[in-house]
Formats: sequence, C-alpha cells, structure tokens
Amino acid sequence: MIEDRFLVWRFNRGDSAALCRIYEKYRDGLLKAAAALLNDRAGVEDVLHDVFVEFATSVGRFELRGSLKGYLAICVANRARDLNRMKRRRNAVDLDGIPPQPAGDAAPEQAAMSRELVARLDAAMAELPDEQREIIVLHVQGKLPFREIARLREISINTAMSRYRYGLDKLRSILNGELGS
Amino acid sequence: MTDRKDIKRMVETYLGSLGTPASDRVDEKVLPAALTAMHKSKPHVAPASHSIWRTIMTSRAGKLTAAAVVAGVVLFAVFDSFTQPVWAIEQAIEAVKEYRAMHIAGTIPGRTFESWMRANKSLTQSQDVVARDSNGGIAWVKNGSTYLYDPGPNTVFFENAITQGFSQWLGPGFLETFAKAQGAQVLQGKDPATGRDRVTLLCSLVDVDGPQSWTVVFDVASKLPVSFTCWHNLDRSGEPLCNITQITYYKDVPDSLFDVHIPGDPAYVEKPLAIAQENIDLLSSPDDGLSTTGQTPQEAAEKIVRATYQAVIDGDLATLRRLSPLCKNWDDEMLRSIILRTGKSDRIAQIVQIGPAGKTGESPLGALIVMPAVLRRADNTKIEEKMIVQFRMIEDKSSCVVYGPYGISRVIE
Repeated sequence: MIEDRFLVWRFNRGDSAALCRIYEKYRDGLLKAAAALLNDRAGVEDVLHDVFVEFATSVGRFELRGSLKGYLAICVANRARDLNRMKRRRNAVDLDGIPPQPAGDAAPEQAAMSRELVARLDAAMAELPDEQREIIVLHVQGKLPFREIARLREISINTAMSRYRYGLDKLRSILNGELGS
Repeated sequence: MTDRKDIKRMVETYLGSLGTPASDRVDEKVLPAALTAMHKSKPHVAPASHSIWRTIMTSRAGKLTAAAVVAGVVLFAVFDSFTQPVWAIEQAIEAVKEYRAMHIAGTIPGRTFESWMRANKSLTQSQDVVARDSNGGIAWVKNGSTYLYDPGPNTVFFENAITQGFSQWLGPGFLETFAKAQGAQVLQGKDPATGRDRVTLLCSLVDVDGPQSWTVVFDVASKLPVSFTCWHNLDRSGEPLCNITQITYYKDVPDSLFDVHIPGDPAYVEKPLAIAQENIDLLSSPDDGLSTTGQTPQEAAEKIVRATYQAVIDGDLATLRRLSPLCKNWDDEMLRSIILRTGKSDRIAQIVQIGPAGKTGESPLGALIVMPAVLRRADNTKIEEKMIVQFRMIEDKSSCVVYGPYGISRVIE
C-alpha cells in the first residue's frame, strides 16, 4: 500500500519507471482476472492493454482512493464486461454457439481439475450475471475484501456479499444440474 | 455438491488454474502503448523505456562522466582514512587559488581521454567542463546540467544537475578537505625524469558515488597537484577508474574550448536517478531516519530534509548522523569542517524553502526522491542544494533517510 502510494505519486510526476513498476507488479493478477471474466479469452491481452493505456493517460491527475490493485481490477472488470457485451451482440448475429477459447498457457493447477470440469466451470461462469461473476472473481481470485469491492462499485457491502452468495449458489445449481444430467 | 464452501473451493482451484498469455508477449503489446500514452498525455516528460534505461546503465560512455574529472569529493563524503595536515597540502591550497582553469589528460578503462575544466569565480565548483575520450564519447557541463554523448546509440544522456565526477573543483575547497582529514599517508620522493621533488598523498573515501581511493602527486616547488590516480575501491587495487598523467593550469581559457558539437541528430534522454549500490547497507539500519507513516512522499521528504539542515545549522551531529547515515563514518572534526563549516562565512544559517520534490528514481531499498532546498548562508548568499531522500520499508515500518546531495549546490542570489 505504501509502495503503491509512492508509485502513484511518481507516476503522476511523469516517472516512466513508476508506470513500468505498477504494470509489472499487477500484470499477472490482472491477466488472471481478465481470463476469469472474459467469455472469449483471446481478448485477455486487449483488456490489459486498454486498461493500462487508459490508466497511463491519467498521468498527472490520477487520484488514488483505496487500493491501486482494487482500482485496476475494477477497470479490468469494466473492460471485460464491455467486451463480453460486444461479443454477445456479435454472437447473437452469426457466431452463436462458439465455445470459450482455451487460454494460451495452462497453469500446473489445471492438472488438479479435469478438462471436462474446467469446461463446465467456464460455461457456468459465463452464465452468471456480470455483477455476480465480477464479485466472485474479484473476491476469490483478486483477494479484494467485500468492503473494497463495495466502495469501488458504489454499492453497499451487504449488496456485494449478497451478489457473491447468489453467484456461488447459482454456480452450484448450474453444476449440480449438469452433473446430475 | 451442496455446500457453498465446496463450490468456493472449486472456484478457487478453477480460477487459479486459468492460463494466461506469455508475459513477454503481453509486455510487448501493453507496455510500449502505455508508455506512449503516458508521454502523449504529459508531453514534457522525457521519453523512456526499459531498453533505453538499460542502455544508459550499461553505457560504456557512462564511465566517462564517472571518471573524467578529478573532483569526486562531495558534501557528504565519508573518509575511511586520511592524512594529518601537511605543509605541502596547505601551500597547495594557496597555489591553486591562482588558477581558474586546467587541462587534464590520462586514461580510463579501455581508452584515453582529455578534459578542459573551468571553475566558478569563487573557485568552489566546476562551472564549465568538457571531456572527450578516444572512443568518441563526450561529457560536458553546461548551464548547471551534465550531458553525456554515447556514440553507440547516438544518444545524449543528461541530468539537470552537475553530477558525478564534476562535483567539486580541484581547488582550495577540495584540498582543504584533504588537509582536514586524518590518517592517510604522505610520501616524499623525487621524480626521476625531471629530478623535481614530489609529495604523494594516499587516501581513501566513500562518497555518494561509492568507495574510492586516490593518490595525488604534488610538485613541491610549485605546490600544485601534477597527477593523480583514482580507484573504485578503498585499497587502490585493480585497474584504476582514471589515471591522470598530465595537468596544466591556466589563469583562464577561452569560452570556445567548452563548445560541444554533436554529430548527426542524437536523441536526448534524461538519465535515471540512482545511488551507489555499495552504499545500500549504510542506509539499511532501522534506527536511522524518520518514519513516513501517514505522510505523503512529498511531506516525508520535506520533513527529513528540513530536519537534516536544521541539524547542520544547530551543530547537532548525532541527529545529522541519524538522518543521513553516510555521515556516520565522519569524525566530529570532519563534520564540523566540511558539512557544518563551523566559523566559516559560507556556513548554512537559515532554511528558506524546502521542495517541491523533483526527480524520482528507485534503489533496491525503495523509492528515491530529489528534494531541492533553498538556503541562506551566513554571508547572506542564497544557494540551492538538492538532496536525495531514500524511502525504505524495514521491519515492516516505512521510513526515509537522507542519502546525500544530488549534484553540487548552486548560488542563486
């Protein structure tokens, strides 16, 4: 947190090294978040690109309220939501039914889950409403506290926690339904 | 599957298992675009990239600035061992006051170089410098900034301060520092080539550029330094950083000697702020510095620089050593003589203004910030000095210390 304050302070003074450091510090986590939030993972790099280019243009006037990690994660969620909507509109026209793209490099943890289960979770996550999916990803993968998510999303902490619970319940019902069928 | 905890665990595993594109590929796509966007949004920011900074840090020509010029002793130098005052040095102090300019020639690793230097009117600082090496590198000082041309990438790297080897003039102040030091060796001998008597001073020190050791040879008849050698270590071992074999003194020299014409159309890139790696350990004690908790970097840097100068004004050596740990190896007499300037008209008497913060950078300990300070001396002159503040996180506590000066001070009024 202290380091982030320094980095933002330096970034606002036009220090390129600070921008590079912010990017290097949060790149991997944001990529993971984008991968979890996008229906089409081919767009993961585009999300990170758009978020950092937008962030870079705020040089000199960026105000850090709360955590930098949370801010960037919300930016990723917003951009991923935009891309998902665009994708859904395109799919509604002529691309309906194309399954999610596999990621470029599978992590070792993937061995712990069967490909079939990963595919089901991909599909189940894609079925969640955006606001529930985001909170699950930001809280579980991004390790953001509900209070921070609520502040960034300008909702009450109870709403944030409810969306998280509803999201998990819906995932459970989707997976139970699929597993049972 | 009915338990919410089970599904959470499954989601955790799933999210952890998600693959992402190779980081190199992402970096190539994102980082240049972000840096470009940043520079377009703030046009006055100097262009920068990792590759450019890497070029700077490994630049062979970079060694030229570090080695070209004599005067490496800066405000917060730390002497390891030194000499008792000897008559030769004290007389040399008087002798060098006669000259405002000099030409030096010698070698640095892998090449030869020569340099013209001219002091300011008070003979305390190098005002004009140009050094050229046999590989095409050129280093020069102009209007308070230091420039370094590296012909390899056809780039001029610059700093808005007189830095590195250009710190102090090889004049009275420099030699006075020698004269006040203790514990070094003085050897007397004769130059076999000319038959002239010589005095050789051996010394070593650690300053903001790291450890250095020196031999300075004086001509007994003229009292002037006639050659010197400098190493980037404390024991004069290995290849010297520079070996000056010829020094010629002048009352003054034409301005045209300091004109620099760079061939082609080089890029200009600001050099990043950095500190000597060898000094990192000296900055790492949790007992030193001031806490930065609850303060912005600007506030914390301003506070510690103000406190440091107040310690100088008050003659509070313990506080000075705690706030600026590189001073710890100075004995009281050295600090009073060189930093406090006790009894001298150029001692600092009043803090006029601290900040706003300037250039920033990074060391392995954390962020670096240059904090300018406007100060009034006892003789009523106003000067600007810039101090490097090192931020660090030690034992989970954030604090900062003063590293030392960034460049040399500048008389502004």
